[in-house]
Amino acid sequence: MADAPHALSAAELGRRLAAGTLTSRALCEALIARYQTVNETVGAFTYLDQADVLAQADASDARRKAGQGRGPLEGIPVAIKDNIAVKGQPLTCSSKMLAPLVSPYDSHVAERLRAAGAILYGRLNMDEFAMGSSTENSAIRKTFNPWDLARIPGGSSGGSAAALAAGLVPLSLGSDTGGSIRQPASHCGVVGLKPTYGLISRFGLVAFASSLDQIGPMARSIEDCELLLNALSSADARDMTCFGPSDRALTPAGDAKKLRIGIPKGFLGKGVAPEVAAAVNAAVEFYRAQGCAISEVELPSADLAVPTYYVVATAEASSNLGRYDGVRYGHRSASAGTPVEMMTASRSEGFGPEVKRRILLGTFVLSAGYADAYYVRALRARAKIRSEYLAALAGVDVLLTPTVPTPAFKVGEKASDPLQLYLEDIFTIPANLAGLPAISVPCGKSGHLPVGFHLVGAPLSEAKLLAAGRLFEAAHGFAHQQAAL
Amino acid sequence: MAEGFDIDHLAKLARLSLTAEEKALYSSQLNQILGHFQALAEADLPATIDDARVVNEAALRSDEPGPVLGAEAVTRIAPASRDGQISVPRVVDDES
Repeated sequence: MADAPHALSAAELGRRLAAGTLTSRALCEALIARYQTVNETVGAFTYLDQADVLAQADASDARRKAGQGRGPLEGIPVAIKDNIAVKGQPLTCSSKMLAPLVSPYDSHVAERLRAAGAILYGRLNMDEFAMGSSTENSAIRKTFNPWDLARIPGGSSGGSAAALAAGLVPLSLGSDTGGSIRQPASHCGVVGLKPTYGLISRFGLVAFASSLDQIGPMARSIEDCELLLNALSSADARDMTCFGPSDRALTPAGDAKKLRIGIPKGFLGKGVAPEVAAAVNAAVEFYRAQGCAISEVELPSADLAVPTYYVVATAEASSNLGRYDGVRYGHRSASAGTPVEMMTASRSEGFGPEVKRRILLGTFVLSAGYADAYYVRALRARAKIRSEYLAALAGVDVLLTPTVPTPAFKVGEKASDPLQLYLEDIFTIPANLAGLPAISVPCGKSGHLPVGFHLVGAPLSEAKLLAAGRLFEAAHGFAHQQAAL
Repeated sequence: MAEGFDIDHLAKLARLSLTAEEKALYSSQLNQILGHFQALAEADLPATIDDARVVNEAALRSDEPGPVLGAEAVTRIAPASRDGQISVPRVVDDES
């Protein structure tokens, strides 16, 4: 079982493919067999075209045989969150609004994966339009946490994290607007990285809140996460916020044992479950014992992060989702009437409750008479939060906190209380507001439920975050962990 | 802080049609969320938002035509189309 393809890392699969002891077809057939027995229980995937996967695998094997292999991801399946465009595959954002849509084009990251020889392997469930922290807002199906099927996997990239923890795929892509890669990674015991804003092109990512959204890699180990990050990261003129060729060099990792680690004051206090605090404190002590310099840092405006985020993100969402009017693509109501009636009916039928709630909130904070009190003040608070983070990161290399205050909660537990759900993101949101890279690394368990710690670094310090994660991972048993299913 | 909150007006601006139950639910939830935003009203904030620029300076590209989706690809994903064009409900009346 430990040698079965679904139990192996992407790096190890790559070595076996290169050595000729495994073919991409055999790998994909094994994963499809796993999908057929496990996906119905976990609900990670919403779509998998098995014939297309095997055709891609055969093409990869043929390239390799001809000596035209494209690198370390050649022949390796990567599953993709359903808000990232892959030509010829559904692009639904787990919404009724986009249920009929098949993408007519590839996102930049899909192009990058094809160029690297990877297999574009299926569509992963998510909260509708990436709005949520539990994947309960999907209009397609529920996804369950592979470690405890009565609990949520986190969200909005819940399918991406659950697919990894269930051994359905070795690598996945998520997107992260306020924690949507890192929070499900923590809940499912996998690694999730949100890159520096601008490192990975957003071309072909369905927009939620454009100044916060980033695509990022998810994997069962730091090594695999880095492999995928390297494949995705490249300049792209179609996203004007994506770093150009000369601006994107990462800060060198340096010696992880000499990292200066800042612990934000008060972050391990109120609201953090004791088991989570204990696991994160143990990680801090591990780094101290390795020789890292640990110090306490002040982030006085941390309490403003959640309200600031929910003003900025909903304002941008209300604008971005204005494009869903039933005219050019997506759902159009059958009750035609006037154009305005058609648009109103299409939107009302197509959007689910959380999306409507956020559109209404975003419309309010931008509306005449309220924009100065809400939206403009939120932008000023964002400036303050960003300057405090950059000031703290001038004195330390990384900031360490829990990723999420509590382990995964039960399905339905917070469904009727949106504010409680918003507070899930309290530790992850500041990195999006400040455009900083951040990673969730598995660091323990609360009972049977995974717990992760969270590292935030200065812009373009991804290599340091990965090096810090690798140091921890090498000394603990959490790499490559999968739930027993 | 949420005085003047008018769910009917918001729904109209957002082009959403809400049932009475939805109006009651969203009004209550938005009031609760806006109450949480009170911290923003009370915070001591910088006067400018200049250094909030997480987004890089706009990288402008040359104004040259690039690849686009053709009419066939666009109409294939449209909810309704005719003669290579997207159909919509009548916008202008027949009356002259």
